[in-house]
Amino acid sequence: MVGQVIVSGVLSGALYALVALGLALIFGVMRVINIAHGPLLMLGAYVTFFLYSRLGLNPYLTVPVAMAALFVVGVLLQRTLVFRVVDAPELSSLLLTFGISIALVNLAQNLFTSDLRAVEYLTESWSVGPLSVSKARVIAFVFALGLTGGAFLFLKTTRLGKAIRATSQSREVALVCGIDVGRIHMLTFGLASALAAAGGALLAVIVAIQPEMGGVWTFKSFLVIVLGGAGNYPGALLGGLLLGLVEQLSSLFLTTQLSEVVAYVLLVLVLLVRPSGLLGGRQT
Amino acid sequence: MRLARAAVLPALGVALLALACYPLVGTGYGVRAALQVFMWIALAGSWNLISGLTGYVSFGHVAFFGAGAYTGAILIASRGWSWPAAALAGGAAAIVLALLIGYPCLRLKGPYFAIAMLGLNEVLRALVSYFEGLTGGGNGLSLPTLDATRPIYYVMGALAAAVTALTYAIITSRFGLRLMTIREDEVAAEAMGIDTFRHKLAAFLLSAVGPGIAGALTARDQGYIEPLSVFPLAVTVTMIVMVLFGGKGTVWGPVLGAVALFVIQEIVWARYPYVHPLLFGAIIVAVVLLMPRGVLGLLQLRYRLPRTI
Repeated sequence: MVGQVIVSGVLSGALYALVALGLALIFGVMRVINIAHGPLLMLGAYVTFFLYSRLGLNPYLTVPVAMAALFVVGVLLQRTLVFRVVDAPELSSLLLTFGISIALVNLAQNLFTSDLRAVEYLTESWSVGPLSVSKARVIAFVFALGLTGGAFLFLKTTRLGKAIRATSQSREVALVCGIDVGRIHMLTFGLASALAAAGGALLAVIVAIQPEMGGVWTFKSFLVIVLGGAGNYPGALLGGLLLGLVEQLSSLFLTTQLSEVVAYVLLVLVLLVRPSGLLGGRQT
Repeated sequence: MRLARAAVLPALGVALLALACYPLVGTGYGVRAALQVFMWIALAGSWNLISGLTGYVSFGHVAFFGAGAYTGAILIASRGWSWPAAALAGGAAAIVLALLIGYPCLRLKGPYFAIAMLGLNEVLRALVSYFEGLTGGGNGLSLPTLDATRPIYYVMGALAAAVTALTYAIITSRFGLRLMTIREDEVAAEAMGIDTFRHKLAAFLLSAVGPGIAGALTARDQGYIEPLSVFPLAVTVTMIVMVLFGGKGTVWGPVLGAVALFVIQEIVWARYPYVHPLLFGAIIVAVVLLMPRGVLGLLQLRYRLPRTI
């Protein structure tokens, strides 16, 4: 039983890490708390749903399409609205992105209706000894781990990735070094939206899709980046796995509904004891 | 200026008298709408006390509203309390919650406080759904029928007036000056000998009472509550946008913002029901980007108005 719980915790943890990494990037680079992160994930899930149900594409092949589509949406959002609240007090970015968030959800309600949608693909599970794991979750785990790793590699090794990290460490110095900070902000928001979209596309195969599915993901991503340390990108992976395990363990020993409460208590404790996250500092 | 100041009190008196007589002549819709405006004034004014004055963004203030609503509703429905007593209990419950949450969370800085408050809201919703026996869980809680809209109108109106009067009293006091010092520069405030934590906590407790009472009154007036109806993030955002629209950290800003935004929302709601959230989102974005100081803030900047407006 505990083994099963740990396996499910780790499986969902990688997905949390993937989605939260986007939020962590935006916060790290722009100090913007993006409430619209969950709704962007929701849009990604709809891309997968429509490509699967209308064109019959394999849902896993739609992941890059969803990422590309939401990259564009993210860049446009940053270009038109979000750039105005970079460096503004947190109240402005919270409210602005909340406004974007309800607008996106409402748009989805009008365009796609509020009906629950599902991508019925890979519904069976594998059983290994006493454990049984759903195939869709395992594949989502592999994809999430791969994409998170790819994003780390991108940030660590490419020129653009280095420029992003430089901007998050010090905007002024980055500017002095000839980095086009405005462009970096735009690309960061696009990349973050693409990561959320990837999470949404993978989730589409696992859970029901509806316009309000994103809200809880915004909250969970906050938990993850606080646990891992805001601005500390590898921390997101640790935070994601931790949140996955905490949720699953508390649903085993308490109930599923209280897992959020446990995670929240953990959040406040971490904020108080180690405000810079479990891994500490902004080791970008 | 002196003439203007002399006119303020009589004008206020006339306005209050008119509002007091209104239920005698008003339609059912009118009284109900005015009741809602009072509720929003109380909520927006309360948020202004903590966030407008100290700069600590309470992004989950609706949690106190919801806590008051559930406390009041449970006491009325299963203990048979009268609604005025239940309203006071709702306020008390909100204070207790604020103490529990403020004690750890007010030590957090900037965005982390906002995130912790946002989380609080989600957690309360989860807790309410969990304790089904007491709260009815996701099915909600129905109160015995009682038509008390008119008496609640007066109590809610008194609450709105009390919150506004409290704001005036605080802004004109040394306590208020210290809060605003914290907002401008917390380290400097500390260096000047202000016990910043205790001041923030006091402001936080005061800002929780109004929403708690308003929550219990609203639960009684509507006769039915459920987790989604009393803990929506949209309510927090609405009160914040009202304060921003009117002017953060002012006495009359929340009142002005509540009335203006309520009227706008009613019109939009009636005309465009399907895209109402979209338009609300646009209003939020417009207020944040175009008028972060609010109407009164702009007026204060342009004409040398007193700080106590």
